[in-house]
Amino acid sequence: MRKLIGIILLTIIAAGISLSLKEIPFGIPKTIIGNHFINKGIEETGAINIVTSVVVGYRSFDTLGEITVLFTAAIGLGALFSLYKNKKTVIYKEPASLIVYTGCRFLFPIIVLTGIYIIIHGHLTPGGGFQGGAIIASAFLLMYLGCTGKRINYKLSTIAEAVGGLTFITLGIVGLITGKDFLFNFISKGEPASLMSAGIIPLIYMAIGLKVGSELTGIIDNLIEKSQ
Amino acid sequence: MNFLSENIYYIGAFSLIFIGLYILLVKKNLIKVIIGFSILDTGIYLFLITIGYIADGTAPIFSKSGLKADRMVDPVPQALVLTAIVIGVAVLALAVSLAVRLYGHYGTLNLRKIKEQRW
Amino acid sequence: MVNPVLLIVIPLSLAFLIPIFAFISKKILKFIPFVAFLFNLTISLKLLPRVLEQPVLTTIGGFAPPFGINIVAGPLGILFATLIALVGSLVSIYAFNYIKGKAQEKYHILYLLLLTGATGVVLTGDIFNLFVFFEILCISSYSLVAFFGDKAGIESAVKYLIQGTLGSSLILIGIGLLYGRFGTLNMADIAGNIHSVHSMSVFVPMVFLITGFGIEAAIFPLNAWLPDAHSSAPSSISAILSGIAIEVGLYAMVRIVFTLFGASSILTFLLILGALTLLIGELCAFSQENIKRMLAYSSIGQTGLILFAISMGSLSGITGGLFQVVSHTLGKALLFLAAGYMIHRSGSMNISSFGGMGKKMPYTSFAFSIGAFSLVGLPPFIGFPGKFMIIKEALSMQEAMFTILIVLILLATIIEAAYFFKVIQVIYFKGESGSPVPEKEIAPAGILLSIFIFVALIVVMGVYPGLITDALNASASELLHRVDYIKSVLP
Repeated sequence: MRKLIGIILLTIIAAGISLSLKEIPFGIPKTIIGNHFINKGIEETGAINIVTSVVVGYRSFDTLGEITVLFTAAIGLGALFSLYKNKKTVIYKEPASLIVYTGCRFLFPIIVLTGIYIIIHGHLTPGGGFQGGAIIASAFLLMYLGCTGKRINYKLSTIAEAVGGLTFITLGIVGLITGKDFLFNFISKGEPASLMSAGIIPLIYMAIGLKVGSELTGIIDNLIEKSQ
Repeated sequence: MNFLSENIYYIGAFSLIFIGLYILLVKKNLIKVIIGFSILDTGIYLFLITIGYIADGTAPIFSKSGLKADRMVDPVPQALVLTAIVIGVAVLALAVSLAVRLYGHYGTLNLRKIKEQRW
Repeated sequence: MVNPVLLIVIPLSLAFLIPIFAFISKKILKFIPFVAFLFNLTISLKLLPRVLEQPVLTTIGGFAPPFGINIVAGPLGILFATLIALVGSLVSIYAFNYIKGKAQEKYHILYLLLLTGATGVVLTGDIFNLFVFFEILCISSYSLVAFFGDKAGIESAVKYLIQGTLGSSLILIGIGLLYGRFGTLNMADIAGNIHSVHSMSVFVPMVFLITGFGIEAAIFPLNAWLPDAHSSAPSSISAILSGIAIEVGLYAMVRIVFTLFGASSILTFLLILGALTLLIGELCAFSQENIKRMLAYSSIGQTGLILFAISMGSLSGITGGLFQVVSHTLGKALLFLAAGYMIHRSGSMNISSFGGMGKKMPYTSFAFSIGAFSLVGLPPFIGFPGKFMIIKEALSMQEAMFTILIVLILLATIIEAAYFFKVIQVIYFKGESGSPVPEKEIAPAGILLSIFIFVALIVVMGVYPGLITDALNASASELLHRVDYIKSVLP
């Protein structure tokens, strides 16, 4: 019965969408604002990666909202687990073998370095704060899975997270104070395609990378610690 | 056949969306519903990026000097999908933690049985 | 002139600062949301006279619309922002004594973020930005419903999350279809390009967007999550959810239908849906034993009434609907706060256990009665002018359908009066259930202060409705004249 209702509902939605998609042909340019971003992107923001100039330049307010969403979820997760006492009996876990243990410890700094590279070069190559932050969090996940018993310092990760978020907002407020708008690019744009270019974009991406990395690591820490 | 080859990306993206919606509406196990969310989200991201594609376009990065600007795909849907992926991850993390707490209280993940509050 | 972006930035930065403050001292944490919303209240009241003449357009990042994101502080937006700041500050006073324990800094962070998301939704002028702030609102409300971690809370939060995420995915599909058709994300730009809703590529995104926002606004077939979520949440959060989250969902729906699409053909459908929601909400509320569930169903009913009023499409209809928004926010928040403390004292959520509360907690019971009278629509309180305007406007529409709908509304009001009077009768006239000597236990000062400021506002605005009718009339005309909105953003 429920399956029948589900299928009927989906057929109606499918019919509606296909009628609507007739006017959105595939592969033909439909954008008004996209062309402006591609043509004027380097001149107005200074980043040669146009997707970065859209994410952190033109639509930086969306990015602020996005890191707030991730922050909300991390705090919500912490609140849900803070009063949780797992009543299961302790499971005997075998310690990791020597090869796994050493391999994890060897790979950890390399992965973190890759993450930092992707964060810093966000305005030059594909990548940026979110992608690099996720890579750094995956390095910590590797440590949790491979070398059981190591934990991150909770206080340090909370402070790193708060500092990352506050840096983003402070950069915005400085733009507001220097007489123009919130998140106005007040540093000079420099030479395109060099590392120190694009004004506040690398700074914002470093703050985002720090915040996302420490936040995802905190989520992983909560989930692993409280389920044991 | 021409219709299929032209719109294969839309068909693929919407198949994922419909599979995700079907799982969401019909399945009983909470973990399956969460996986359904993930599939639904992936379908939506694919659909958004497909809207931005321009035929014979390349990535919008001026990595070599002299790259022509009219041969690039639309950068805006890619920025939208970046934001949407992070939002999807946040909801997924919250859903999984709620599933852990729910199992702790009820001992089962069957959504039809967790109906203590009726009417 | 103050930059309206501060209304969003200041609470957000304070929310980011709370984890650092938590390491220094835990005692000052509970004052931070109150300070933030007092600040918001002052800024929005200062902006209000200015925006009544001309909406204030603020760009972000220095890029002009439609290429950058912009904030449009019009009369409707600043009215909602003032309401959010007012209710936010008062409920945060209530939470001084109500939230204790280990995880209290997380409560305050989530509370600040919920209201920041709500303020962002009502002020923004870009449709994807609307979605992002709406997600902030939704995710913090999922976490706050489950905050106490008990069985009912977690179950309600799971149901709310599944339905809410379904709604958000539908909104995202709608935004994708709109971008594919029009090539821009700015609401004024899209509105300028839409001339008729009848072509399929405009109609389908509109249906998706209305359904997605309708899940949060609790319109009839989509409101299955609401009774559970509002009754299992902590009482201060029930007040915020019923008072603000539903209204913000309604704002998003109304903004989409009136300003973005300019659709007058779908208003008839929304009219019927609103009347259905009203009737079903009030009927279900009548048979409830649990007081918070009763108040939650009453919220569904009031949402139906507001949707009905706004779908009438005329100036006094929309003004009546917005008046009802203000009255419902203030009245329902007061009812949830008062009921919350009564539940805390009597130990159970059943109405029958409230016997004798009239003597045990005289001030709280008095406030509860004032809230109930105001919501039913009795004269000296703020509920009266709103309902009067709606019924008068519906009477002046000459069609036969409206007579049936007016009868439905009056029937619903009678049912509402019946169940509220039932509760008041139990509070004041039933005998004691418990100790034979009724000792007077007055609620702590923080709780009483917030409850009485609500009572004062309800009485003052009921006696002098002219205080806010200017703002409401300006907001209604902003919704009806979408060409002015488009001109004020893109000259």
